[in-house]
Amino acid sequence: MSRQRSIDKILASEFVSIGELVRLTGCRYSTLKFYTEEGMLPFKQEEENLTRRFPREEALVKIQEIQGLKKQGLSISEIKERLVEK
Amino acid sequence: MRELSFALSFSVMALNAQDSLRLTNAKKVSLRCMAAAAILELYMDNGFTKEGEFLTFRREELQSAVIPMYLESVVKILLGKNEIISATLPDYLSMVTKLSKRMLVEVEQGFAVFLKEANALEEIPALLGCDLEYVSAGISMKEYRSHSDLYTRITESLRAEILEEGIMTDEAILMLWLLRESGCFYDLFSKVELKRVAERMYELLDSSFLAKQVYPIQIHKSIETAIKNFLKIKKEVMSTPTGSGINFIFPLIERSQSVFIDTEEYFANKADRLSDVKARLESKGHTFAVIREGEVPLIKIDNVLYEAVPSAKQYRIPVHGVRLRKYPLSL
Repeated sequence: MSRQRSIDKILASEFVSIGELVRLTGCRYSTLKFYTEEGMLPFKQEEENLTRRFPREEALVKIQEIQGLKKQGLSISEIKERLVEK
Repeated sequence: MRELSFALSFSVMALNAQDSLRLTNAKKVSLRCMAAAAILELYMDNGFTKEGEFLTFRREELQSAVIPMYLESVVKILLGKNEIISATLPDYLSMVTKLSKRMLVEVEQGFAVFLKEANALEEIPALLGCDLEYVSAGISMKEYRSHSDLYTRITESLRAEILEEGIMTDEAILMLWLLRESGCFYDLFSKVELKRVAERMYELLDSSFLAKQVYPIQIHKSIETAIKNFLKIKKEVMSTPTGSGINFIFPLIERSQSVFIDTEEYFANKADRLSDVKARLESKGHTFAVIREGEVPLIKIDNVLYEAVPSAKQYRIPVHGVRLRKYPLSL
């Protein structure tokens, strides 16, 4: 049996799944998937058909950063440029 | 906000937008599945004593163990007058199809009280309760509304787990089955995504012991599900710009989208009409704001825009008032 992890356990772990990132941030799955596919969120994937694992702290900071830049009215390409500059 | 258990998470999805005062067909479907969710939660948390394939529950465990109210209400119904109950998981799940209306109401009470205390669910007045015919008949209309942020977190994390590659948790596997049986699939997944969901369910039937046990079981009643889906499609069609126009001419097609509010006077002027509408809506607990005044004012009720079109209804004597028509921008 593989049970869902509690929020406490997720917060204590180094890597999280995209579903767990959704639970932590309240962002939509499609939004996070888009960020991932655009290369804005770092992740590790051991094989093609295995779960993508996101470094929790780094991913949360990136998501906050992206949302902040979005609120400033920047487009996705501009946000990507900003993230690369850093 | 605290984390919700498996059965409560499902209930947040199943009870959202359901009539809170009456046992509608759609709510019956949801309540049966909520009872099944409670059984599955007890099963996953080792609440049953396992003897081979058989799962046993004794009444005395209700006093000794810390069992939340929503689980207790379901277990008490399953126990009935017996002191002990023993069955396989599929048999337990099949029992929910035989729950009477009274039992379903008990299940609802158990869950709704708990969810309201957790601030995960609230009861809001339904706009139809402001309609002349409902007001004069003294019929109150209320519906459940789930906490929007919580609803998003639950549904989106589930979508992520199902649509992404990788191993699925037991909660997601069972939630898929509950969504299938409750007919909530279409609320969460697009047509394209549903193909992927179907593929995943077939994969799980081969690879997961839990899926093998649970997926072949059907607890939905085909007639109830058909009625639920028909009413949902009708409401969706009548919410489109064309549909809302048709519904304005033939209000009986979708009564919930056709609200007539009477004015106190015959041939009331635009200011009196608006103040009567405001008084009625506020007396029923709706938030109200005027966006544009005029002969046909644009008003915002509970964050949805409506036009208040002057109209009359023909009874023994004609009644003057306004009909609310959803404004295309909010469709």
